[in-house]
Amino acid sequence: MAEYIDVDVRPLLRAGAEPFSLIMAALDRLEPGQGLRLFATFKPIPLFGVMADRGFEHSEVALDGGEWKVLFTPGRITPAESPVGAPAFDNWPEPVVKLDSRDLDPPEPMVRILAAAEKLGPGETLSALLRREPVFLFPQLEKRGFRWLGGFAPDGSTYELTVRAPS
Amino acid sequence: MIGASISRWTMSYFAMAVGWLLAAQAIMVAGFGFPAADIASPDTLVLVHVVSIGWLSTAMCGGLFQFVPVLTAKPLFAEKWALPALGLLTAGLTTLLAGFLALGGRLPDGLWLLPAGAFLLVAGFGLIIVDLGLTSWLRPTGPTRFILVGLASLCATVTFGTVFAVALVSCSGSTCATMLDAGVPLHAIAGVGGWLTLTAMGVSYRLLSMFMLSPDVDDRTSGTTLLAGALATAVAVAGGIIAVALSSGMNVILSIAAALGLATIALYGRDVIAIFRARRRRQLELNIRMAALSFVSLGGTALLGVMLVLTGNFAAHVGAFVYLVVFGWLSGLVLAKLYKIVAFLTWLETYGPVMGRSPTPRVQDLVAEERASKWFVTYHAAVWVGMLMLLADQPSAFRATAMAMAIGTIGIVREVVRTRRLADVADPLRLPGGAREPHLLFARN
Repeated sequence: MAEYIDVDVRPLLRAGAEPFSLIMAALDRLEPGQGLRLFATFKPIPLFGVMADRGFEHSEVALDGGEWKVLFTPGRITPAESPVGAPAFDNWPEPVVKLDSRDLDPPEPMVRILAAAEKLGPGETLSALLRREPVFLFPQLEKRGFRWLGGFAPDGSTYELTVRAPS
Repeated sequence: MIGASISRWTMSYFAMAVGWLLAAQAIMVAGFGFPAADIASPDTLVLVHVVSIGWLSTAMCGGLFQFVPVLTAKPLFAEKWALPALGLLTAGLTTLLAGFLALGGRLPDGLWLLPAGAFLLVAGFGLIIVDLGLTSWLRPTGPTRFILVGLASLCATVTFGTVFAVALVSCSGSTCATMLDAGVPLHAIAGVGGWLTLTAMGVSYRLLSMFMLSPDVDDRTSGTTLLAGALATAVAVAGGIIAVALSSGMNVILSIAAALGLATIALYGRDVIAIFRARRRRQLELNIRMAALSFVSLGGTALLGVMLVLTGNFAAHVGAFVYLVVFGWLSGLVLAKLYKIVAFLTWLETYGPVMGRSPTPRVQDLVAEERASKWFVTYHAAVWVGMLMLLADQPSAFRATAMAMAIGTIGIVREVVRTRRLADVADPLRLPGGAREPHLLFARN
């Protein structure tokens, strides 16, 4: 029976913040054999793939009020064998393109990011700075097989996005 | 999936809503209901519900099905409910209108249609409230909190309406009549104030700052505005119910609610001015300029209300007051935003899949603002003159202004249909690299 470390990102999510970095930081602190018990306000499906890449399998339980408890248990999945064969996020190479789209009229940031993304070589990444979470961009990236990672900087006014081309 | 996809049925909601708006204008041009008939007459109830449910609520719900997932960055709780809900709203409203016609003696033996229509509307709005409410609850910050308060007010509005519909059929004593008379203002305040106005305000915070490149209004600042608005609605609804139960006068309650309502408009005005001042975009698009005209109407509403109360004329001219709220402020804002939202969603649906792979037009290439602006100006001018004609008790001149408003609306609708059909996009860019022309009435998401 694995030992679990609790990570509760519900307050962060309720405040509209991006919990990804907190989860990754908790992951880095785990001892070998330890698992992660995550509490979230929604079923964090995108995280399942990321955690599978890192060798964790998940089991989730719905709580009251639409919240979820997810147990990430180490060991039974070989790392780096996700369906698209992409390595974990911390192995991403330095961006080959850096875009600052903060002063562009919407939806121009999305246009520029997709145009730049289409020019990336396999496995290459680009980074972009935005004013807002590009919610309409994500489905387009997903459809094209790109992976992405994003969150607001601590000042809350700049959204930092990294996009990686399929390898 | 994280993020937001295109809402499949938002265009269907918009189309249905615009249909009802044109119907309402036809009713006014024909001289049916207020001001030719009494403001509490069944004919006026037909007109009022075509506007409030058919036009404004349907357009608002269609917009929210798209907007709430954008605010929360989560998919809708149940996307599948949107179309059945539209069907229920349409059937419910049609039945309710037939019930009002029966109430006025225009249809024989049809009073049962009132509760039947009300229950269909409860079912339709119920699906929408649960769907949007549960989705909004995932990220209750900023504009989403306005939407949650708006949905709660919609619950109150629908409950009042259902109680009235049942009461009109099942009891005919003088107690019932008194209760109905006292309850109608509460129903209207919850609907026009709590549901439509607070929701429109919440949505506008994000749309304005997004399209003007302004920072979002701080949650604490907009929270004060929301608190005033929520209190105004709560005082009117809860206080009003208590006043009805105790058979005491409504004046104190309504005065407190009115003061809170004025405070809400003032605070909202402060927030909107801050968004305009902090904008990094100097050149304003048509939708923002036309939204500004609806803000002028909202300010005018506050001014008119205060003047009418001070001169003791509010009861006599409540029709003109409500007309400015509904057509100047709410409809003006909804039309301006609809013009932009249709262009954006059409652009995203058509060009999203090929973006970055083929050259694509800009969103602004889908619209012809100069052509559209004259229809918007016609619309707003007609509303303002119409309001003056109501104040001056000139029903015939009012019908002429309703005609002008309808012409403005038809012009705007024509522009929106052209946008949806990509009619203003020049040919090499129109459908590049396998892009498909969108369907007029729904999105292929």
